Amino acid sequence: MKARILVVDDDEALAEMIGIVLRNDGFDPVFCADGGQALDVFRSSKPDLVLLDLMLPGVDGIEVCRQIRGESDVPIVMLTAKSDTSDVVRGLESGADDYVPKPFKPAELVARVRARLRPGDQKAPETLRIADITIDVAGHTVKRADERISLTPLEFDLLVALARKPWQVFTRELLLEQVWGYRHAADTRLVNVHVQRLRSKIERDPEAPEVVLTVRGVGYKAGS
Amino acid sequence: MVSATKQVPESSGPEDAPDPATRRGPEHTDALAAELAALPFRARIWRRRGIIVGLRVARLVRLGLSRFFPALRYVGRSLQRRWRRSLQFRTVLTTLLLAVTSFGAVGAYLSNQIANNLFQERLTQAESETRYNVKQVQDTFDGAQVTDQSSVITLVYDTLNAVEGRGSVIQRRYVFEAKPEQTKPRNRWVESRASDQLTVSVIPPDLRKAVQTSGKDQYWASTLIPVGTEDRPGIAVGNLVTFNGTVYELYLIYDLNTAQQTLDEIQGVLLAGGAVLVLMIGAIAWYVTRNVVSPVSHAALVSEKLAAGQLQERMVVKGEDEVARLGASFNHMAASLQEQITQLATLSQMQQRFVSDVSHELRTPLTTVRMAAEVLYDARHDFDPINKRSAELLYNQVERFQSLLADLLEISRFDAGVAMLDAEPDDIVQVIAHVIEGAAPVAAEYGSEIILRAPADGIVAEMDARRIDRILRNLILNAVEHGEGKPVTVTVAANQTAVGVAVRDHGIGMTPAEAARVFDRFWRADPARARTTGGSGLGLSIAMEDTKLHNGWLQAWGNKGSGSNFRLTIPLRQGEEIDRSPVQLEPGDIVLPDGRIHTNFLVLEPGRTTSPGAATSAGAGSSAGQASTPKEQP
Repeated sequence: MKARILVVDDDEALAEMIGIVLRNDGFDPVFCADGGQALDVFRSSKPDLVLLDLMLPGVDGIEVCRQIRGESDVPIVMLTAKSDTSDVVRGLESGADDYVPKPFKPAELVARVRARLRPGDQKAPETLRIADITIDVAGHTVKRADERISLTPLEFDLLVALARKPWQVFTRELLLEQVWGYRHAADTRLVNVHVQRLRSKIERDPEAPEVVLTVRGVGYKAGS
Repeated sequence: MVSATKQVPESSGPEDAPDPATRRGPEHTDALAAELAALPFRARIWRRRGIIVGLRVARLVRLGLSRFFPALRYVGRSLQRRWRRSLQFRTVLTTLLLAVTSFGAVGAYLSNQIANNLFQERLTQAESETRYNVKQVQDTFDGAQVTDQSSVITLVYDTLNAVEGRGSVIQRRYVFEAKPEQTKPRNRWVESRASDQLTVSVIPPDLRKAVQTSGKDQYWASTLIPVGTEDRPGIAVGNLVTFNGTVYELYLIYDLNTAQQTLDEIQGVLLAGGAVLVLMIGAIAWYVTRNVVSPVSHAALVSEKLAAGQLQERMVVKGEDEVARLGASFNHMAASLQEQITQLATLSQMQQRFVSDVSHELRTPLTTVRMAAEVLYDARHDFDPINKRSAELLYNQVERFQSLLADLLEISRFDAGVAMLDAEPDDIVQVIAHVIEGAAPVAAEYGSEIILRAPADGIVAEMDARRIDRILRNLILNAVEHGEGKPVTVTVAANQTAVGVAVRDHGIGMTPAEAARVFDRFWRADPARARTTGGSGLGLSIAMEDTKLHNGWLQAWGNKGSGSNFRLTIPLRQGEEIDRSPVQLEPGDIVLPDGRIHTNFLVLEPGRTTSPGAATSAGAGSSAGQASTPKEQP
């Protein structure tokens, strides 16, 4: 079955070009040129992944991202023309999993899409623990005591990567490679933002983390 | 104190007198003798007591001062500070000091004049009264017809008592004493006589001598007389009188107490008046200077706030005087300043928005073009040769255009001042290793080897890893491109304040003139071969901007034929100063075939390079001896 990808971009030429590239690589693209209609198209087409331009007429990309994230865990990859830190961070904070800065190569785009669409690997029944958090890898659920915590697939992958090797300190580059699937590290801000988001969901006090610990000057590790 | 016009030292102590006690009444003699005998003993006791009390007081004073001095010093220092910093304080204090000095001088002169006049008046009165009374006494003595002892004594005593004056108030006192060493037969019944409490010792010896040797003249001197328990100032006027052929000295003594009291009162009034006047003058000075100084200090306050960026701050303008004019022109200045700054800020904002818009507007179509070019490029094997070559050219030039645009946008972000340092502790050796790994394909293409010399346990520094990565990628790729296939050495080291990275190649090198311009925008060492090596020509300029953002140094050394060396130095902790770079700028491995060397240093200090890309050449030597930077050379 072809993976369906929703492309939300107001630039018709670019959208068409993206469509050509995606179709060429065996995806099924769906288009939407208006931020205001993005949510309706999303509901009707039920895509497996969303490619979202940050600058849209009407409702802007960040708002669209928030709306989609409000009702779905579908991976969202942003297309940004601005590589300013504030824009990227704003986009990631609104719920996007990854971003591709314009101008990008077709191969780069496809690689990112594939990375986000990675089928749940070969998840063996496995239960992991960090601090007071229990992770059921196959069942894709995270619990504290009996309370279920809802995470996006990316956040889940990040947590599982840390939990599998609690003795190891992960550099940001290593996490980018293992969780995002980048061969050559792009932007470590991705990791920072997602760790913050993950913490806001699973930590009792995100200011004093117990589950995901920062190792100053190196990276992150799982709490014990 | 009444000052006498003729000061005669007062003789003190009963021992100094020619033993007058023996000539007093017999009832006094015993008591006085006992007292005199006990005197040396008492004096010893009192001396010891005095010493003990003195020591105690000294200790107390020392203790008090040791406690008191720090406080005193603090007060002194704060006063000094106020003296330096407050015009008003200085003016008021100076006015007060001058007022006190002048009042002191005037007051001293006035009270001196008054005292003299009072004294002179009393003296004149005393002299005339004395003359009259002495004449009376002499007349009484001359007309006396007495021969027996008791009547002589009675006569003398009555006469002398009459001199003291009638009524309850004693107008004058007397000392009546036979002139010593008389050859004539003497009246043996009356030797001396004095008013109550007085002895001949109150009469200054000089006065006595003058009276004794003069004959009929009248002399005076000021002295102290015991009245009750106190010593009072007085005038003693001396004459000689004769009784039955015996010459006596008769001194009439006038109390100056009333005059002294009057003087004290006048002095008190002067002092009080002076004090009140000084206070009033101080208050007036304070008020006047405040009126003048307060607008000035207000202006100082407002200009400080303006300088701190509160551009809406203005002075209060009242009236039309000089101060109001100052305020008005000050406000005018502030307004035009605010206008210009606002204008600049708006321009800068517009510039930023423009850059951002250009960024977006250019990048979207470029993305489409790039993707299309790549699709065509991937399918080029199906094209005929002409179309195939076209697709290749399109693809390559779109790539180049894209990197040029990215660099341009990056530079314009620096120029707009929106580039922010996102620094956190990171291991710079890992960053370098990562860059070398990334540059490996290019190095392989050129046939160069990249050697990393770094401490095994890494160096953690506060840095923006993305920017450091970009700087080093630029330096290393540059070295590989210009290294002519020879090895490129990357050396990393740290000291207490900084971490240094030197990238050394052994390629064609640079002349001093080239090294001086290497960080300029779009500058290329060899225009003929430039375009083939790719790159936008902005790489080193961006590296310099990134370095400046870290408050670091980026320096270049070059020698034609011996390759070049680029050194990056950044502080270990942001906000700290670099003491010196841990790595050497001039490499120690250069070989000089003919003893001549072209070296060049480019020292760029973050504080001194204000215009983007501007480079300060710190030293350029043509011989090895001159070729050393004075400060950074380890």
